[in-house]
Amino acid sequence: MQRREALQQAALMMGAMLSAPTLAGAMGRVTNTGPSVAVSPDQEALLAEVADVIIPTTSTPGAKAAGAEKFIVRVIRDCYPKADQEKFYAGLAKLDADSKTKFGKGFAALENAQKIDMVKHAMTEDKPFFLRMKELTTTGYFTSEIGATKALEYLPVPGQFNGCMPMKPGQKAWAL
Amino acid sequence: MYLNIDSIKDQTYDAIVIGSGISGGWAAKELTEKGLRVLMLEKGHKLDHVTDYEYAMKDPWQTKYNGRLTEEQKESHPKLARDYPYNEMTQNYWMKDTDSNYKEVKRFDWYRPNIVGGKSIMWGRQSYRLSDIDFGANAREGIAVDWPIRYKDVAPWYSYVEKFAGISGEKLNLPQLPDSEFLPPMEMYCVEKEVRKRIEKNFPGRTMTIGRVANLSKAAQAQMGVGRASCQYRNKCSLGCPYGAYFSTQSCTLPPAAKTGRLTLRPDSVVTEVMYDENKKRATGVRIVDAVTMQPKEYYASIIFVCGSTLGSTAVLLNSKSNRFPNGLGNDSEQLGHNLMDHHFRIGASGDWEGDLDKYYIGRRANGIYVPRYRNIGNDKRDYLRGFGYQGGGSRQGWQRNIAEMSFGADYKDELTKPGPWTMGLGGFGETLPYYENRMYLDKNEKDKWGMPLVVFDAELKENEKKMRIDMMNDAKEMLESSGVKNVKAYDRGSYLGMAIHEMGTARMGRDPKTSVLNGNNQLHAVKNVFVTDGACMVSASCVNPSLTYMALTARAADFAVKEMKRKSI
Repeated sequence: MQRREALQQAALMMGAMLSAPTLAGAMGRVTNTGPSVAVSPDQEALLAEVADVIIPTTSTPGAKAAGAEKFIVRVIRDCYPKADQEKFYAGLAKLDADSKTKFGKGFAALENAQKIDMVKHAMTEDKPFFLRMKELTTTGYFTSEIGATKALEYLPVPGQFNGCMPMKPGQKAWAL
Repeated sequence: MYLNIDSIKDQTYDAIVIGSGISGGWAAKELTEKGLRVLMLEKGHKLDHVTDYEYAMKDPWQTKYNGRLTEEQKESHPKLARDYPYNEMTQNYWMKDTDSNYKEVKRFDWYRPNIVGGKSIMWGRQSYRLSDIDFGANAREGIAVDWPIRYKDVAPWYSYVEKFAGISGEKLNLPQLPDSEFLPPMEMYCVEKEVRKRIEKNFPGRTMTIGRVANLSKAAQAQMGVGRASCQYRNKCSLGCPYGAYFSTQSCTLPPAAKTGRLTLRPDSVVTEVMYDENKKRATGVRIVDAVTMQPKEYYASIIFVCGSTLGSTAVLLNSKSNRFPNGLGNDSEQLGHNLMDHHFRIGASGDWEGDLDKYYIGRRANGIYVPRYRNIGNDKRDYLRGFGYQGGGSRQGWQRNIAEMSFGADYKDELTKPGPWTMGLGGFGETLPYYENRMYLDKNEKDKWGMPLVVFDAELKENEKKMRIDMMNDAKEMLESSGVKNVKAYDRGSYLGMAIHEMGTARMGRDPKTSVLNGNNQLHAVKNVFVTDGACMVSASCVNPSLTYMALTARAADFAVKEMKRKSI
């Protein structure tokens, strides 16, 4: 049986099922973490620049092209307590300020080699910021459409399993 | 007092099934197919097959957080958020702790789904038969009470449910792990094939096989007939499978039940008690609260199948009080809520496999390997009772590696786009003994949103389990090291009851009504028209994943119940 056919058949079968109307509306929500730290377009653009140093464009597009900064902003905003958000953006601000001290320009305006210098600097100066930035950049990139389909090999519906086969030359890692 | 707009007749069925999970689904299928008009009551919201699996076909970039929980979710599900099953993609499948909290005298992780299908949607799908070594263990060792049944009583029912559910696996002919009716086994990775050979050579009596799993490696006619297709190897099972390729209520047991035209499924129905008629000496029906409108309602039936999950079912029985049963329906033995078991796990070893860098795979196998129990089998004697099995497997690392290292840039990116090294791991799943003092009970004061008393847990692992864990960790390390796995690290991440989501035993079966709640047919000793066929009935835990046994016992009990109804015995 073809996959599509199987799907259609499954849907038909379930059409016969009785079910009472349902789904509770969204329940009132109470949060005690307070509003998230507001992020400016400049901060978001700066995140994109730093992310693009961690995962640059090579033979495939890099983190900025993949929009990894949007993932970073979203995750920091919604998945971390306010104190962690503040620490993260303080780390970002420090990187920009240190760039100005060292090179007389903000991070975004630096030459590529200078940017690499500054990320190395952040690696020792503020290791927690570096590691969080690296983790979120890497995840944001490799789970983006560009990262998953261009840098990696993306096969959403394999339809088969072979657990022990010779590896093709130039084989990219599976995205999933 | 409230007025029902429906007549009693409209609220009367031949059978009521409480719960729509693995056990409830089987009960509904069997009872409707045998001609009964069945009302299935589910606490959770509706979840239609295929169309309601919101994340099942999404690409990773269509998620917001790639699975992470938000701060808000951590607040609404403070207990559930302690472990992985609750995540961005499955968030709508689980009960909010804030809607129905529970109390912990000792820590207990209670995973409560909030959907039609129950945990059959998110389950791990590992499916193993219990053996006579399991069924005879309590009697042999003088632990708790004897199972009132043996392997031969359940074996035909295992076959019956396996042929329909579809279990993929390899025949081994082991006395401690009877073979199922198998669909073809899934393949092992090269590393797993090699480690298996070496384990078998280095440790006579031990073996490693591919996991036995309720995924259709090759859909048979029985499965295609209800609209199910073969596994597509996406490894997204817990989101709901649009191909119906693993066993769930929605994919497997609801379609045939619905097809009879005799099933009414009512989601959003929180059953609060089973009603008992003191004159007739039988249960008459159930009281529910509508989860959305908060309105109470009553339904009536000749027989009642309580399949609301081990702890959910037991809570309902404990809350069903009458003059005859002041401590809960059918609780003459005072065993209801006691003998709470789970498996203990989160212990084992893993390491690096240096070979096979020229080998890769295609497809994402939603399954691992299994090392059947070998401790306290045959001539092996340990300083603890029972045993454990291992689940685990090989894997080739992907882009997630090296995230915590101090590297970045073009080389870092380039490295991550290539397949990483292979690893191999074994994680133990150990049997927990049934202890009377390990229990759940209802809080006397606090109630949840729907008026059900909160459940309180007071249960822990004891000496036997702790001794077993030493072997579970050391054996894993020893087997991996002797198989050539490098940098093997043993681990014990600690295991609290409930975490394995194999909770069982709080309304145990037994021969004697004075010491057990259910008889050998899953029937309340004292209320013959009430059956409990989920994990609550378990007398001992074995070390194998239990769901397949609930399927078999449910089908068996349904067969018995209908025969008894025809004989007018109940």
